[in-house]
Amino acid sequence: MVTRKRIEKKDVRDKVRILAIETSCDETAVAILEVGKRKGKDVSLIVKKNLVSSQIPIHQKYGGVVPEVAARTHVPETVALLTEALGRRGLDAFDAIAVTSGPGLATALRVGVEAARMLAFLSEKPLIGVNHLEGHIASAWLDPKNRARWEFPLLALVVSGGHTELVLMKDFCSYRIVGETRDDAAGEAFDKSAKLMGLPYPGGPEIAKLALSGDPEAIPLPRPMLKDPGLDMSFSGLKTAVRVAWESWKTVSEERRAQTRKDLAASVQQAIVDVLVEKTLRAVKKYHVKGVLLVGGVSANLVLRETLEARLHEVFPDIAFLPSDKKYITDNAAMIAAAGSWHLKKGESRDWRKLDANPEWNL
Amino acid sequence: MKFLVSKVEDWSLVAKHVVSLLTPSTMILLSGPLGAGKTIFVQALAKELGSKKIPKSPSFALVRTYKLQNTKQIDRLVHVDAYRLESEREALALGLDELVEPGSVLAVEWPEKLGNWLQPLRNPRIEMHITVDPRHETRHVRIR
Repeated sequence: MVTRKRIEKKDVRDKVRILAIETSCDETAVAILEVGKRKGKDVSLIVKKNLVSSQIPIHQKYGGVVPEVAARTHVPETVALLTEALGRRGLDAFDAIAVTSGPGLATALRVGVEAARMLAFLSEKPLIGVNHLEGHIASAWLDPKNRARWEFPLLALVVSGGHTELVLMKDFCSYRIVGETRDDAAGEAFDKSAKLMGLPYPGGPEIAKLALSGDPEAIPLPRPMLKDPGLDMSFSGLKTAVRVAWESWKTVSEERRAQTRKDLAASVQQAIVDVLVEKTLRAVKKYHVKGVLLVGGVSANLVLRETLEARLHEVFPDIAFLPSDKKYITDNAAMIAAAGSWHLKKGESRDWRKLDANPEWNL
Repeated sequence: MKFLVSKVEDWSLVAKHVVSLLTPSTMILLSGPLGAGKTIFVQALAKELGSKKIPKSPSFALVRTYKLQNTKQIDRLVHVDAYRLESEREALALGLDELVEPGSVLAVEWPEKLGNWLQPLRNPRIEMHITVDPRHETRHVRIR
């Protein structure tokens, strides 16, 4: 017993391995992140395991996301992924546990939280509850290029199917939402516009693909709240505009139809990107940040990435553009481990008896 | 009862009428196509009921809840969106039985996707159907 504790102490000093579990919505994910000694200015971070049981094939079969299948498979998937991640070392494979405890669907969150609590109870190791949004923000930290230019205050643009938020970070674990969508998330705007245009799920990539050969200025679409001086956004009005455009598309002659569809896709994409980029620039100016993080599933959109980078470079040439690596933009557990490492460094952990799923947790 | 909605502000009139019909644990079933204004109606409803937060689309999250302050009997608005559900069985993930509490009001978008899951619930119901007039961009709202 004494020997074992000594080994653990040595491990903690040299490197800490964080086991992370994410089950807040559709994906089941487990990861192990090794946080090593500092090398000069940088810490050494190695993603040892990054397992995601992606359910995209099931979604495509159904033409939409299948939450019940998702919620139910979280249980067997979590067990399967944990078994693979821990391997023969079992409870010795990690030094701390991080788990997404909110926000999300109660029935889904509970699966991950209960698994994490059980592991914390059995292993007597620190347990950390991570906010899903914070996890997305921390995904940018996994890229050494970003860590090299990391300087507070920072602004994070979090864009996904369920989120569109501008988050101000004055330090690690310090967050303030300074702007957000008032209705639909940007990813939802992509998906629902695609649905209105008869495109398959997920709609974002489909629109981006068609947009490549479309004219983004062909169909005038609204940029809601762009004239509003605040940092909040709105995307729900786009649905009506797309439907109206789609209705008139039906009257276009056969030969023109394919191109009109591409033009509409390009116009939808441009409308969403314009709002996101403009509001981000305003927030940069207002809060005098030193860097901008771009994270979440919609950050895969190339036009968004390129436009934001170009506009930042043009207006604020000294500000660092820190997009997360494409490997970590959709829901995963490596990002939850990264956020967990910030809390661990600050000495913040939770008693397993007191951690509970919090579906409405606001960052 | 029928309403004609031609601008965003009109939704507050609809919401006021619905609030006058509300009793604790009522389920409001909201039907209408994408972009009909279901979420905008819930925003107006939340405002009438004294929510400090403005509801956002729950399409991705599936369920969002809001604390209410205007009445003693109703202290929580539960906004459910079945848009992403593709079969009735999937409603299991929503945990509907846990959401239906005496002090809650449920606003359910795309209730037709929940099918038989709603049948055993004996809560008072308000059904709202929204249709879009494409020529004039107005909404016809029917409540019963």
